[in-house]
Amino acid sequence: MEIVAINQISPDQVIFFAWKFVTINATLVYTWLIMGILVVGSVLITRNLSTERTMSRWQNLMEVIVTGIRGEIREMAKDGVDTYFPFIGTIFLFILLSNLLTFLPGYVAPTSSLTTTSALAILVFFAVPIYGISKQGIIEYLKEYIRPNPIFFPFHVMGELSRTLALAVRLFGNLMSHEKVVAILLAVTPLFFPIVMQALGLLIGLIQAYIFAVLAMVYIASATQTHEEGEHPPKTSS
Amino acid sequence: MHIDWFVFFSQIVNLMILMFLLKKFLYGKIVGAIDAREAKIAAVFAEAEQSRLEAESAATSHARNLRELDERHESLLEKSRQDAESYRERLEEKAREETDFLKTRWIEAVKSERENFLRELRHLAGKQTYAVTRRVLHDLAEVDLEDRIVEILAERVVSMDEGERNRFREPLENGGVVTVTSAFDLTPERRERLNVALRQHIAADIEVVFSQSDDLLSGCELRSDGHKIAWSIKDYLDTLEESFYTALYEKAQER
Repeated sequence: MEIVAINQISPDQVIFFAWKFVTINATLVYTWLIMGILVVGSVLITRNLSTERTMSRWQNLMEVIVTGIRGEIREMAKDGVDTYFPFIGTIFLFILLSNLLTFLPGYVAPTSSLTTTSALAILVFFAVPIYGISKQGIIEYLKEYIRPNPIFFPFHVMGELSRTLALAVRLFGNLMSHEKVVAILLAVTPLFFPIVMQALGLLIGLIQAYIFAVLAMVYIASATQTHEEGEHPPKTSS
Repeated sequence: MHIDWFVFFSQIVNLMILMFLLKKFLYGKIVGAIDAREAKIAAVFAEAEQSRLEAESAATSHARNLRELDERHESLLEKSRQDAESYRERLEEKAREETDFLKTRWIEAVKSERENFLRELRHLAGKQTYAVTRRVLHDLAEVDLEDRIVEILAERVVSMDEGERNRFREPLENGGVVTVTSAFDLTPERRERLNVALRQHIAADIEVVFSQSDDLLSGCELRSDGHKIAWSIKDYLDTLEESFYTALYEKAQER
């Protein structure tokens, strides 16, 4: 059963309900599904948290994931791990679950829609200056755009825009193309190969979630740390 | 490429809601649980470290106590050894003293017995010798032994040199008496013979008192306040006693 036809490029095109500008399509429905799984799962797992040396498997899994994400963040941003963690962690978990569920028949990853990836990229786009300004102050943050020379201002702006676009399109392109490849392979060789591709898809999904989260963190870290790294260490006065 | 702007903004809102919910239901709790566990583990480690330190201190104190006990034990043992040694010496000393005492007493008993024996011997021998001598003198020469003794005493008084005579005489001038003591009965003739000899050669007004005593061992003596003239079988018996004593001593040595 294919919800998205082979000639349709995005789950946005599968519309369940439309009234005026309100459109409920497959992207939104599957997004809600993933949100529901994450929130309910979180509630269930954290209902009986153990602080002893023994714990439930689910708690263990979540602790591994949370510790892993925090470790990655700590490697890039030396301090303020818990400031960035909810944002980066949510992006990672959402993309990861969204990508991993593609092995379910009838499921279409919301991340294979450019609308979703654009929304994620826009969130990163706004998060970078918000974190940067909250960390350095607006003046220092804006000064970054004219370093090392005011001539570089347009390049900085173009860089911001292009990397946001790249974030959106990279995730969308990978997921969408994977789904198309699997659909085509199903038509050409219905046995064995689609399974291999599905397995590969899980790996791709994991890698893409990781890449998206790490890039978002790198952008945020660059906005909050460039100034500090650019300056010479202050001389100690006696 | 189509972007549905309603869906686009909905997704932004969805993701922000998701971020809020996950922060509320997942991150805070999980991080809290991890921190709590780490704190607990740190507490357990701290406790273990504390226990280790306590155990080390206990071990050190125990070792010190053990050493002290050993030293005390050694000193007590040494003291006991010394006490036992001194006690043994005391006991030995006491035993030695007791042995010496017993030995002395035994020696004294032996001596006393020997003396008793010799005294008895001397007494019996004296009696026998006296009886035999008397008999022999009577049988062979028809001489009475007692008369002969009295005669000898009288001769001694006669044959006294001047110095001796003066010494004998001095006490008598102050009112002293001459005491004649004999082991046998002095008949009036014998008394007269002695009185004559004394009055002629010592002093004319001499007072003579006669008495009889078994102690003299078959003899007779004249005494004047410390000075005396005597004849007794004692001198002969002394030789006999000496011979006996020597024989007894040699027998004892042989044993």
